[in-house]
Amino acid sequence: MTIAGGTIGGGPRAADAGTWEGSGVATQIWVLALRSLRALVLDPRILVSSLLAPFLMLLVFSQIFAGIANTPQFPAGVGYTDFLVPAIMVNTAMQSAMQTGIGLTQETQNGIIARLRSLPIWPGSILVGRSIAELIRSLLRLVVLLASALLIFGFRPAGGAGGVLAGIGLAALLGWGLGWIFIALTCWLREVELIQNVSGILLFPLMFASNAFVPVEALPRWLQVVAVINPMTHGIDAVRDLTHRGDAGGSAAVAVATALAVAVVAGFTAVKGLERDS
Amino acid sequence: MNPAGGGEPMIVARGIGKRYGSVTALDGVDLDVHQGSVHGLLGHNGAGKTTLVRILTAQTRPSAGRATVSGFDVVDQPERLRRKIGLTGQFASVDEQLSGRDNLILIARLLGAGRRQARARADELLESFGLVDAAGRLARTFSGGMRRRLDLAASLVGRPAVVFLDEPTTGLDPAARLNVWQIVRDLVRDGATVLLTSQYLDEIDRLSESLTVLSDGRILAAGSPMELKHQVGRRTAVVRFEAVADLKVAGPVLSGSGLRPALDEARTSVTVPVETSRDIATIVRALDDAGLELSELQVAEPTLDEVYLSLMSAAAQSAGSERAEAVK
Repeated sequence: MTIAGGTIGGGPRAADAGTWEGSGVATQIWVLALRSLRALVLDPRILVSSLLAPFLMLLVFSQIFAGIANTPQFPAGVGYTDFLVPAIMVNTAMQSAMQTGIGLTQETQNGIIARLRSLPIWPGSILVGRSIAELIRSLLRLVVLLASALLIFGFRPAGGAGGVLAGIGLAALLGWGLGWIFIALTCWLREVELIQNVSGILLFPLMFASNAFVPVEALPRWLQVVAVINPMTHGIDAVRDLTHRGDAGGSAAVAVATALAVAVVAGFTAVKGLERDS
Repeated sequence: MNPAGGGEPMIVARGIGKRYGSVTALDGVDLDVHQGSVHGLLGHNGAGKTTLVRILTAQTRPSAGRATVSGFDVVDQPERLRRKIGLTGQFASVDEQLSGRDNLILIARLLGAGRRQARARADELLESFGLVDAAGRLARTFSGGMRRRLDLAASLVGRPAVVFLDEPTTGLDPAARLNVWQIVRDLVRDGATVLLTSQYLDEIDRLSESLTVLSDGRILAAGSPMELKHQVGRRTAVVRFEAVADLKVAGPVLSGSGLRPALDEARTSVTVPVETSRDIATIVRALDDAGLELSELQVAEPTLDEVYLSLMSAAAQSAGSERAEAVK
């Protein structure tokens, strides 16, 4: 290998050494988000499998639980698909949230995070960039989910196009906000298997001990208590209100505020974890 | 110890210590590396090489001591320090989902290069590292050697003044290893300062003007490779015979010539420390005079193991004599 004079190295002899004065945080986030997005969206295998998951969830749950629509606790005049789709939307966004953490762990393992950390950039950029990429993928998945619900499953949201779009936005925002919990976990635990287990343990009760698949009133008494304090219940309520009525009033505001608050607290914790000595 | 070169000090460490709970990873490590030189950090796995590199690249804080790299304090000025350094770890850390070219563009953009500048720098490095043909392929399709070259290229995007190479040749085939050595030489020719860690004495011997030997987080020895070899290991000659009977004769013959042979009956061989080439001639002459037929003669440089063992036993002896002094 021949290396033409003075092109690879640095030090005093490099012609334009030191001409790059570092990048701004906005550029860092943008460049890193694009990087993650490329892996998430441009790899057809990863893209298709991630789009298929919510579709399958809708297919399976709409068949298994359809009978619940005939029980007395079920709200009158609402079809089960109309009831289920908002829950699947929130669940899809939560899956994306979990994926953010798992994807990040894998990168911690293969050393790319260490490389990025050795650069003169704000470590938070690495996390924010990834969370934005995952948010965009989450939106993509939600759009595909809604399209198939409308075209194949006979989803007829009374809230109209505006309500559905607002519902998509809210679900994605919820997933993005709560996703920071998984990012923070990743930054502190740093082990793929552990993260997967902990994420699963967290996600499972959040989804099932809620009003996602059956109305709260149809749950056993003790589970009702859990479901009422479960933030998912309120998020799903808000998305349901948006898609069913086109307006969610206070519940949407509470959901947005909660998601943002979680993002700030967990985000701060995550950056601390990433900067932590190991 | 003042290493060869004598340029401005680029890495200065004083009394660096690092504890993880009750485990001491580093203890009282001093280091001086001058501009435009290669300093070797030699030691086995767990000796503390990587911990020291992590401290000097501001990835982890020292529990004791101070260090500066390119004049910036590792604890107080991590951001400015990171602008001056390049780091290649033991495991090639490239983004597998990106092409070789995009990996380099990413780093350049994060360092503050505009799109066009980033592309130009990436192309320049791809050319230098012989990766032009593979530039558009995803990094996950790269071979181990290519990946390592891409990793090295990535650490040089910002034209760092100080380059840290943590076991850059571990796991590489001989050709790829030679490749990395050439890159290190070119770096220094271009004015960079290099800290190179390795488990191989010959690698450090070839590339560096000065070295530090670490063991269990402490400095065992420091100096130039020449000094260290002189101080530590001597070359050895290994003579192998066809028959054990010959070996038994050879022992006294060599002792009689003023040498210190060590017999190994299992291998029908004798190991003799040699100081100069005259010793080798003495061995051959003495055995020939005794009418012995040698089936093989090898002269070996001290290996890292020998350097280690020798340094360790020297350290143990001096500790022992200190204790003896104390008893008196």
